[in-house]
Amino acid sequence: MWKYILKRLLLLIFTLFLVVTATFFLMQIMPGTPFTNPKLTPEAIAQLKSTYGLDLPLWQQYLNYLIGAAHGDFGISFQYQNQPVSMLIGQRLPISAQLGAQALVVGVIAGLFMGAASARNKNNKIDGTLGIISTLGISIPSFILGIILVYLFGFKWPLFPVSGWGDSFSQTILPTLALAMSPAAITTRFVRSEMIESLSSDYVQLAKAKGLSAKEVVNQHAYRNSMIPVLTLIGPMAAGLLTGSTLIEQIFSIPGIGQQFVLSIPSKDFPVIMGTTIVYSAMLMVMILITDILTAIIDPRVRLQ
Amino acid sequence: MDTWKKVAIGAAAVVVVVGGTRAAGLWGGSSSGNSKNLSFQLPTPIQTLDISKNTDTYSGAIIGNSGSNLMRVDSKGKAQLELAKSVKVSDDGLKYTVVLKNGLKWSDGSKLTAQDFVYSWQRIVDPKTASQYAYLASGVKNADKIAAGKADVDTLGVTAKGNTITFDLERPLPQFEYLLTFSNFMPQKQSFVTKEGKKYATTAATSLYSGPYKVEGWNGTNNSFKLIKNDNYWDAKNIKTKQIDVQVVQKPETAVQLYKQGKIDRVLISGTPELYKANKNDKNVSKAPEATTAYLQYNQTGKNKFLANAKIREALNLATNRKELTDQVTAGISTPATGLAPEGLAKTASGEDLAKFVAPGYKFDPKKAATLFQEGLKEVGESQATITVTSDADSPAAKSTLDYLQGSWEKALPGLKINQKFVPFSQRIKDSQTQNFDIVVSLWGGDYPEGSTYYDIFKTDASNNNGQFKNEAYDALVNKAESTDALKASARDNDYKMAEAALLKDSNFNPLYFRAGYALQNPKVTGIVLNSTGLNQDWKLAVKK
Repeated sequence: MWKYILKRLLLLIFTLFLVVTATFFLMQIMPGTPFTNPKLTPEAIAQLKSTYGLDLPLWQQYLNYLIGAAHGDFGISFQYQNQPVSMLIGQRLPISAQLGAQALVVGVIAGLFMGAASARNKNNKIDGTLGIISTLGISIPSFILGIILVYLFGFKWPLFPVSGWGDSFSQTILPTLALAMSPAAITTRFVRSEMIESLSSDYVQLAKAKGLSAKEVVNQHAYRNSMIPVLTLIGPMAAGLLTGSTLIEQIFSIPGIGQQFVLSIPSKDFPVIMGTTIVYSAMLMVMILITDILTAIIDPRVRLQ
Repeated sequence: MDTWKKVAIGAAAVVVVVGGTRAAGLWGGSSSGNSKNLSFQLPTPIQTLDISKNTDTYSGAIIGNSGSNLMRVDSKGKAQLELAKSVKVSDDGLKYTVVLKNGLKWSDGSKLTAQDFVYSWQRIVDPKTASQYAYLASGVKNADKIAAGKADVDTLGVTAKGNTITFDLERPLPQFEYLLTFSNFMPQKQSFVTKEGKKYATTAATSLYSGPYKVEGWNGTNNSFKLIKNDNYWDAKNIKTKQIDVQVVQKPETAVQLYKQGKIDRVLISGTPELYKANKNDKNVSKAPEATTAYLQYNQTGKNKFLANAKIREALNLATNRKELTDQVTAGISTPATGLAPEGLAKTASGEDLAKFVAPGYKFDPKKAATLFQEGLKEVGESQATITVTSDADSPAAKSTLDYLQGSWEKALPGLKINQKFVPFSQRIKDSQTQNFDIVVSLWGGDYPEGSTYYDIFKTDASNNNGQFKNEAYDALVNKAESTDALKASARDNDYKMAEAALLKDSNFNPLYFRAGYALQNPKVTGIVLNSTGLNQDWKLAVKK
């Protein structure tokens, strides 16, 4: 097991290296420079480039970047004057992470309840209603839901603030709900099918035959067993939430990492693009690794090697 | 149905707790302060409080309201004395002598000196600072050399002696007075900047303020913070507002809704044509000046032989219906252009809008255009012309602009074929600078309220004369305005008027529209000074009744 994790971690570092290299050279293909003010004279642009080391040969810039990155120095943003990329990310990532975590918790818990309710009421009205809700939840993009929520609870019935972050907890409610819809829907459908399967499985039949009440059968055996595989869903969902919150951050004016990432691309803020890409890929890979390990722990049929 | 009961009870409990605590004021409703506090919105997060390095309008609004300079623009657009007691200029316009008021202080109570101005001017031109606005200091002795790394910062023509600052210029600068109001040249305290080092101006706490307000609660990323009255400001007795709440609201529709709920006091409605149409009839709407001109540049290097022909260029100019274009492309928010310098940029010596005064008479005459076009084609020796128009895809008006030009030009000028080309913004800039275009849609925003911020563009060999034309009459007039007439306002106005006429005569470019904005403002709020260049909104004297 430990050997396996170590192997995966080494692979992760190698993959990150590939991501850094690919991003670095792809950025060189992007047209233009970070200094797009048409008022800058060619001499001024040359001076700025030399200040930021952009006039060096490409291989040297690349090497400098790698050395810096290995020491945890991701450079200084062009757009956010003076701010080191590590500080930019360091301040924005926790915001996106909190938003993502809240959405994940709300979504998964709601999904567990709705999935279980759906399975136990298979093919009747409750199941049908929940089926419609979860289908909508999967098919409606979070940013559409976000706008609907802003309209309903921000303006029609002004219960919650519609923009900002960090002043009060209430600011987090609408964006959390908008983001939670998709994980809730995915979990609902997953739990429903898992539970229907386990309700018809041999051990449940046996439990019933033993004379346990319907409630005990469901709570002790069916529910618990069908909840476990949900854990394997959390990894990919968490990664999806972190990257998918970009538009939600825009709608609710939340100073998160996703928004920063999107803004940095058209302004050619190279250090920020690089830094954010590295952080995103690292998070995605760690999530996948955690998911794999969890799966192995939960399901003894899976052997890690 | 046990589960359902539990869920229902749980949900009810949540609603009660949430509702109860909210009603008790434990959270929510961030703008529940003093009703005299002003509340403003920014459409994008602020990026920095660094006086020398900022280039962004909205960061500039915060910097400009928390700082002060030697002069400040008043509600009539004139530069008035601020930290300066007097500003004197020598007869040749090459030396400005400024004496500071007595007893000036920084927000931390320390003494604000003439040396703080010298340091700020040195810092912005210092290549180590890497300010993208260093070019604004061009014309001050040795500024260009220092910015290019060829001279030491100490050689800059800005020096202090006691309470007096002396500016030595290489050439007369008609805009110099306005540079003394500019937020990028506000004073900075060297010992403070050095002490904060890399953290300088990245948060409210690592900045120092010389203006009517100081910033509180900005941690470098958060989207809501405050401006608090600065009691150490020289004019503090005239600052009636104790606190301004600033919040970033990125969706223009949300911002308008917040305005309607009374949570913000001023909001732009020109973000989208739909928003403008829905709100333009509100009685509290007013025009917000922008001083930006959209225009077409013709590549006159000979790379496209049709555009090297003056008659064909004139035909294109005459075939452009600027009124209709503006209505279709901007829903009537912007104003049809009448020349290069936009409306709201500057006033003439007699107080008239410069754009009105210099307008050389661009006309829409499709009949004459068609005739000229045929003559032009004959001169070139072709029966048909194909021309590509480039625009950047980043601007929402780009597609409709090109559609309109293509449709109306092809209709008015038989034998003309227009191709559309869209590139990203930075590619458009690059293509413009390398003459990789036939016709390119360009936007230019003025830096200061004086004509030269526009008329410098089209000087021969100027880096922004992307069409690379040479108009000798124009060059002579603009050079005259910036040398012998630099300090004679009305003579300069006339030079600019004749320069516009020279551009029209040779059809060197094609002005499309002057960009404008519209805003809703709480009628209880007065005293905001709106500027089309420099500090966009000056809140110094803003109050809420």
